[in-house]
This record gives sequence, C-alpha cells and structure tokens, in this order.
Amino acid sequence: MPSDRLTPRQEHDLVIGAEAGDADASRKLVEAFLPAIVGVAAHFPTAVRVERQELVQEGVAGLLFAARRYDTSLETPFWAYASFWVRKSMQELVAELARPVALSDRAVRGLALLGRARSEYLQAHGSEPTDGELSRATGLTRTQIESLQATQRRPRALEEPLDGAAEAVATVGDTIVDPVAEREYEQVLDEIEIDEVRDLADELDARERRVLRAHYGLGEPVQTLSQIGGRLGLTAERARQIEVGALQKLRERISRAAPVRANV
Amino acid sequence: MEMSSEDRGRHGALLYESQDAYREFAVPFLSEGLEVGEGAIVAHTRPGLAMMREALGSDAAHVTFVDVSSAYTRPARTLASYHQVYVEQLGKSPSLRVVADVQFGLDPAEWDLWTAYEAVFNRSFEHLPAWVVCTYNANGTPDPIIDGVWRTHPEVHAGDAWHTSDRFEDPDELLGELTPEPRPLSGLRSIGFGRDLEEFRDGLARVLAAEKVSDTTVLDMLLAATEIAENAIEHGGGVADVRVGHADGRFVCEVVDRGEGFDDPTAGYLAPRLGVGRGLWVARQLTWRLEFFAAPDGFTARIWL
Repeated sequence: MPSDRLTPRQEHDLVIGAEAGDADASRKLVEAFLPAIVGVAAHFPTAVRVERQELVQEGVAGLLFAARRYDTSLETPFWAYASFWVRKSMQELVAELARPVALSDRAVRGLALLGRARSEYLQAHGSEPTDGELSRATGLTRTQIESLQATQRRPRALEEPLDGAAEAVATVGDTIVDPVAEREYEQVLDEIEIDEVRDLADELDARERRVLRAHYGLGEPVQTLSQIGGRLGLTAERARQIEVGALQKLRERISRAAPVRANV
Repeated sequence: MEMSSEDRGRHGALLYESQDAYREFAVPFLSEGLEVGEGAIVAHTRPGLAMMREALGSDAAHVTFVDVSSAYTRPARTLASYHQVYVEQLGKSPSLRVVADVQFGLDPAEWDLWTAYEAVFNRSFEHLPAWVVCTYNANGTPDPIIDGVWRTHPEVHAGDAWHTSDRFEDPDELLGELTPEPRPLSGLRSIGFGRDLEEFRDGLARVLAAEKVSDTTVLDMLLAATEIAENAIEHGGGVADVRVGHADGRFVCEVVDRGEGFDDPTAGYLAPRLGVGRGLWVARQLTWRLEFFAAPDGFTARIWL
C-alpha cells in the first residue's frame, strides 16, 4: 500500500534524504507511511499481548531501516520493499516479548519471600497486605517490592474488560485515545523518536567544528579562512592547519586499524 | 583449541533450521574460545541476543552482544560496523570468535549485492585473528541465497558437521562478477579541480550548498571526495577534471585522473591494515556507492551520494 500523500518523486526524494540522515526527510517519510504501518500493526498476528503503539513504533524503526538500505534505482516500489522490514521489526518485538522474563537467583528468592509474607498476612488478617506491610515483613524496600511485582505483571490488552467482569461495558481499549481514529498522527509522530544520524563533526573539538562549519557553510554563511582566523584570533594559515588537522582526525577515526598482536 | 596463525580471517557459515540447532552450535563454539582466552561476539536481532544471553549462562558476561537490526544497510558500512566491534574486542583479547546472523532481505533485486558482501568479507578481515561464522536460518530462506552461502564461504556447517564447500569461488572474481558495470551518465557538468585540494573542496562545497545537501552529508562528501582526489594525485598522475550532477535522484561527483587506473573490485572494502591504503575504505563508508572505470578522457572515480 503506497503512500497516497506523496508523488513517486516526493517519495523518492524523501527516501534518499532519510538515508542521508536528514531528520526532516525522515519525519516526513514516517508521516506519509504511518497509515500503512498502523494498518500492518492492526492486523499483526500475535499470540502475546503487545500494545499497538509499541508495534507501530517498531514498524517505524523498520521503515527507517528500509530507507537506509533501499536502492531507489531498482524497480521494486518502496513500500513493497519496506513492508518486509516493517513486519520483521514487529516480529522481533513480539518474539522478544514472548520470552519469559529471565530472573536472577536473587530476584527469584525475593519473589519467594514476598509470596510467603503475603500468604502469612492473608491468613493472619484476612486481607491483602499493602506494600508498606510487605516491606516491614520482608525487609525489602518498597522500590524492590514494586520491581519484583512488575516482573509478574502481564501487559493489559486492548480487549481486556476494565472491571474484570465477564460482560464489561467498556474495555481498556475504549479509554485509550485512538490516534488513527482521531487522526492524531502528530501525537504519534511526536512520541516516536527518530534518531538523527550522528554528525561526523561530533568527533571534533569545538574549534575544529567552528572552522569546518564556517569554511564550508555548514549551517552558517561561508567564510574565508582569513575571516575565520580573524574571528578566532588566528592567522588564515593557522585556520587552514586546523581544518587540515580536523579532516585528518576524521579520516583516522574512520580508518582505525585493529590492534593485531604480532605473536598470534 | 587456541586459534593459530592459520585461523586468521577464518570465515565460515552455519545453516540452521531451528533455534535449538543455532544454540547447539553457537554456545560450544563461543565457550571453547572463551576457555582459552579468546574474545566472543554474538551479532543477532534482539530476540536472538536474548536467547543467547540465557543459553550462555555465566559466559554471557564475557561476550559482546551486537544488535544487527539496523546494521545491514550498505555492504561497506556493514563491514565498517563489524570492523569497529572487532577493533574494540581485539584491544582486549588476542583473537576472537564471532557468530553473526546475516539480515539478507527477501528482495531478489538486492541478493547479488549481499552475496558480493559475503564474498568480499573473506578479504576484508583476512588479516585479523578472527573466526567468524555467518549464520543463516535455512527455513524459508530462498534457494539462491543458500546457494550464495556455499559460493562465499570456504566451509559451511550444515547438519551436524563442517563441510568444505566445493562451490566456494575466488572472492575477487565473484565480487567482480556481481558488481554491475557502471553505466554512462549524461548531464554532468565540469567544475574543474582548482589549484589544490583546498580549492577543490571549496568548489565542491559551493556546489553542494547550491544543491541544498544537508550539512551532515556535505561533510561526508567533502571527506570522501578528498580521499578520491588524493588518490588521483598520488597514483593517477593528477586530477584531469571534476564533474558533478544528478542521476537516479542522487548527487554524483566524478573525479577523472590521468593515470591508467586499476582493476580491483575489492578497492575500498579491505579493512585498514599495513600495506593497504585507507582512503577508499573511508570514502566507501561515507557515500552510497563508488564506481571505478576507464573512460575516454581518463580513469574515473564516480561518487554517488
């Protein structure tokens, strides 16, 4: 299902922009294909309970991965290509959630201690203990008790009745604003973090960044090395040396060799 | 068995048909290495990493886990990502063992690209004391991909045993066969080189700014183009021309030199080591694609952004 919000040319340009690390292009691409991703999530087969929002977020990650991999010169339409990676991302989330929580020995002992304390309190008082009473009985802090109880808590499904009754008049799903139904894509988009590609310039110190950005007009007007040197209190030649050094630093960072020991 | 000098750049494949089979291979393989002081790396998706953390038990504390969910974007970048991990690990141990689940994708249009990646992998890390096993879930994987596994790995573990692959092909030859011939591009315009590298970068930066290329990409391109131009100066008798334009929606830059050029499909894919230049390794990571070809007006390096 292609995006009906974009022309083929627009889609093409956004994919290339997203691949190059353009955050704006990434966001627009996600915005355009979010209905398709939501559609995949809505019908995604899963034997475990998983929040639809989580599936959509994974689907977005899959879409952006596809954009970084997709060759626009090939004939496969982008969504036909990307939908595989969208579904794969969702599958991996479901597979991850289907795994039982692996508890440490210490956590297992903590849960056993909690279980015994709860049982003893119930027998003695005929009611459920509060977290404070459990804390006093076991010596565990309330934070520890909450963490241990969370490992036993299953995520609530959209279909689950609110009051536990067999015939509920409302479900958990009814209380959650449906971003699709209310077309609140903006809210969904805001909650989905689009990781910006790390800027190569982040590897440099502040002065090196200033020189490169100013000399090549990266986010600011282009300046000559003389102008740059003047603003930094340096000669043009010194500014040039800083630039050459910065480029060399980046080169070495990218091309660092492995420390192979000679006696292996 | 401690790794010997013969084990440098050992590259095998595991074809598994169940998660149990994967575990039954991977856990002993890594544990044996850990016992003799080797490093261990597991590269997999998040569910796979979780499975291996459990299966390795206390050994897991000594293993580096790498999430490959977003790693397999372009071959050169994938090689660089793995190289980064190997560099870090080899700083802590004299040798290492790796199991890496390959994210091939099911679009036939890109199978040649990733088969070529596996072919050049044999050469990229041949100098490293590393035994890397690429793992493939044989269930549901198309036959051409499985065939590619046998063509690109000298040894394949299938069933319960290692098999020497009689279909293994010379990596350089296979890479050359799978690399498409560069097609002629029209519409590129000459911008010249200038007097030196600095003028070359200045001119290219102005073009990129006019094209409204993002700042991050501008720096990547300037660095890559500098590497290409330096190569042209050092090995190609100097830069004869620089041409820029667009093709397939991408910015393209061609650097033409006066030399005879080279015919090496592995150029830029070999991880940094003594005796091998690093410029093209850098350039490949920063760009979408590099192409090298002889043209009527000189040997040409074409950069796709």
